[in-house]
Amino acid sequence: MASRHVLPLRTAVSTSAGLASAAINFLACVEVAEYAGGASAWIALLVAGGLIIFSASNFAELSGLYPSAAAIRVWTRKGLNDRLSLIISLVYAATVVFVIAADAFVLAQAFHAAVPIIPGWLWIVLLLGAIAGANLRGIRVSGKIQDINGAVLLMTLVVISLIILGKTPWPHGQPLFHVGPGIFQAVALGVFIYVGFEWVTPLAEEFDDARAISRGMYMALGLIAVAFGLFTVAISVIFPDIRALHATLIPQLIVGEKALGRWGFWWMVIITMTTAMTTFNGGLFTASRFVYALAREKTLPRGLSHLNKYWVPSYALLLLAGLSLALALGVMATGWYTVLINAGAGVEGLVYALSAWLVFSLRRREAQRPRPFRALGYPWAALIVGAVFLLLGVGALLTTTGGIPTALLFVMGLTAIVTGYVWYYVPRLKKAPRRNPVMSSEPEETTR
Amino acid sequence: MLKTLEHFAAQCNANSRLRQMNRDWTRRIAIVATDRAQSFWLTSQEGVITAGEGPAVEPDLQIQAPYDIIQAIFSGAMSPTEPYNAGDLLVKGSQDDLMRLDIITLLIWGE
Repeated sequence: MASRHVLPLRTAVSTSAGLASAAINFLACVEVAEYAGGASAWIALLVAGGLIIFSASNFAELSGLYPSAAAIRVWTRKGLNDRLSLIISLVYAATVVFVIAADAFVLAQAFHAAVPIIPGWLWIVLLLGAIAGANLRGIRVSGKIQDINGAVLLMTLVVISLIILGKTPWPHGQPLFHVGPGIFQAVALGVFIYVGFEWVTPLAEEFDDARAISRGMYMALGLIAVAFGLFTVAISVIFPDIRALHATLIPQLIVGEKALGRWGFWWMVIITMTTAMTTFNGGLFTASRFVYALAREKTLPRGLSHLNKYWVPSYALLLLAGLSLALALGVMATGWYTVLINAGAGVEGLVYALSAWLVFSLRRREAQRPRPFRALGYPWAALIVGAVFLLLGVGALLTTTGGIPTALLFVMGLTAIVTGYVWYYVPRLKKAPRRNPVMSSEPEETTR
Repeated sequence: MLKTLEHFAAQCNANSRLRQMNRDWTRRIAIVATDRAQSFWLTSQEGVITAGEGPAVEPDLQIQAPYDIIQAIFSGAMSPTEPYNAGDLLVKGSQDDLMRLDIITLLIWGE
């Protein structure tokens, strides 16, 4: 049986690549190059990509087993239990807000550097507003934006990196094949350049071919490795002393300007905007459907299941956009962006470890259920990769700011609030009688 | 099961708000009972819903679940979201079609 209304493979690739390609990745590229000792940073990114491929195969197995927009909610419910599943799902959904907010902060720095008279916060409001507006217009509009942005971002990043490498003489003392003493730190940081690739899994039921999600994730990871790998090498070549970029929040703009003058500067401004738009768009697109599903399940307030005339969960989307905006503005005011980055990276690392655990658990509990895709190298690879991501996640959370593990405290506080909510408030929501449907007064035909 | 689906279709067709809502919605929906290898279908043609037994040709939306869950959903005994979030109800198709079907059950029976 073939479904007529399905998404193409390119949307799986662009959604996965777009969500992983955040503006904060440029900061990570600089740190990876710094730890790896320069141009050989591509080796660290390649090793990190290898680890991520195994983690992606865990997600591919879970997504093939239960292709659902509720994704992690379903997998953890089947592999753990209902309450724990809800706590994990809500904390995981909150990481989308962290990443959007951190990316919005970096975007603000870039735009403020480009046009100093316009405050960064205004750019955040405008871009978040534009993306939220596009999403409110319906799923197809969102998919088109994601397809275009993903392609533009990675292609232009490859092109500008090649131009830089082509016109800059190779500096002395920058070996391309070299493994320095900081390689492990470089690999650990490199992993987080790929983080977010798995957020495409909630779209699984929109693809006709059950393997589209796994193929899309693998292709996206390959594209990210090439694009950001080339860019990291280009940074090292044009700034042989990479420490010169350590203190800046806009290394990509400095690199662009040094390589190609004002033209290169503006090119990188546009690329930064594109990375942020893919993160905003993809994050809001998938997370709003997830919040809708939880509201329909009566585990979030009823209003969040409201659909507008384009069948978009508009209140859920506006809530996520509003929270992201508030957090981004808070980070702008305090400068504590690393707290969000470390919190997001920590939660993602723990979720990757959990995905390995779920593969084990569901192989035992649902042994007979068909699996269109099986995790690579099971059981040993899943075990090792799970342990590695557990360590990376804990390591990211333990990163200190001013001697205090703020990311850990932030995530623990959030988890405590969510646990209290799940334990005490959700039972009340489930008991509350609901009679009247929630939707716009006059729905119209969808955008399809 | 067929009687349940026909009753569901009749309720949809008797609801003027639903007919207005679905006036431009032309879709074929395949419903497969995974534990009994039985198939059913629903079609929406300009707001008019019809039901039948057998495999659907080129469906826009496929719904797969155990027989009892499908029966419970289309008779209004169960919200589709609970089995969906539990992984007992699997869907293949666009999310806006899925949401429309969800809201149809919501408009007929409430939450």
